[in-house]
Amino acid sequence: MELEQLIPWVRRGDELAWEAFVRRFQGRVFALAHHYTDDPEDARDLAQEVFVKVYRNLHALPDADGCLPWLLRITRNACLDHLRRMKARPTFGEVPVEELAGLRTTELDPEAAHLDAARKAEVHRALGELTDLNREILLLKEIQGLSVEEVAAILEVPVGTVKSRSHRARLELAEKLAAAGLGA
Amino acid sequence: MTDPTRFPDDPELTRSILGRTSGAPCARLRTLACDLVDGALTPDEAALAQAHLDHCTACAILVSALRASADLLPALADLDPGPGFTARVLWATSLLPEPAPSGWARLLQRPRIALELAYLAAAAGILAFHSPAARLLDAWRAPVLSSPLGASAGNLVQAERRTVRAVAGIFVAPEGQPPRPAQRLLASVRAWPRPGDAGDERRGEPEDTPPRPSPQTRD
Repeated sequence: MELEQLIPWVRRGDELAWEAFVRRFQGRVFALAHHYTDDPEDARDLAQEVFVKVYRNLHALPDADGCLPWLLRITRNACLDHLRRMKARPTFGEVPVEELAGLRTTELDPEAAHLDAARKAEVHRALGELTDLNREILLLKEIQGLSVEEVAAILEVPVGTVKSRSHRARLELAEKLAAAGLGA
Repeated sequence: MTDPTRFPDDPELTRSILGRTSGAPCARLRTLACDLVDGALTPDEAALAQAHLDHCTACAILVSALRASADLLPALADLDPGPGFTARVLWATSLLPEPAPSGWARLLQRPRIALELAYLAAAAGILAFHSPAARLLDAWRAPVLSSPLGASAGNLVQAERRTVRAVAGIFVAPEGQPPRPAQRLLASVRAWPRPGDAGDERRGEPEDTPPRPSPQTRD
């Protein structure tokens, strides 16, 4: 079912529609939470917390176009609250390759899948070395695919800042990946 | 056959000339690199950037890393939270009350909506009859009552009073006449013992129990 058709059912409180909605977005919410917390258990707890919040506010569920930005905004706020509670900044430490093997991939060859997971782990590590704003811009714009305007609204910064920072952040990340031998 | 007008590339010579003129063009390439990877450059700009990349290893590695990250970053968007996650979320939300409805339906389902509406109606009534606006309304009405139409309204009021008297005559007999059935019924109802009457207090007591002395009797 298309998201446009699904959302009215979800708003009406249909249990099957809610399950379909959770299945559709759980990977995105969990991935963003994982990038912020760098801990899969914390990310799972936060993702569940996000869906509980969404369920309590189903009347505010936006239409299909605004649904993902709305969810990601709730996820980001939940993650920032969590990090504030933990009194720690996102650590972005070394992530075991096996852990990122959970990333959805179409690779069937185990060797290629392992290589792919290693490259993703390297990107994840390099992301952790960026400044907070640059990292968040990359998480929301380049990874989650939100528009510049949506990212600016979530981060509460001007659109121009997102545009300029986005280029800078991508270059910074590319330099770190090149230094790690990924661009060679 | 080689072109006799072209000499083999000499990177040192190029670097030397650029160093004495525009400076290294790598900074310019950095401003274009993201758009080059995104395919957002004009053909001319793309050709110039590509010509630089053909001769600059550092920039070529940078652009290659940019391309790799452009491929890898979107793949980080979706991460499988594990097999039991969906069931966990559905269990957690099943414990919650039904989701609140939206819009007016949500407003009407507020537990105190009747009280709130009554409060609003009372406030509206007070405003309508006791506010300065109500006095203005009366002042506006006064000329209407004094007009011929107002006179006819006065006749209507008199007719209404006569009707009320006539209807009352059906139930209440004029003085000196026997009471109407409705009056008799009312009198019999009034004669029923009420709580606090002496007869009522005695109800339920055995018949041989002597009557309780009244306060006056006790004195």
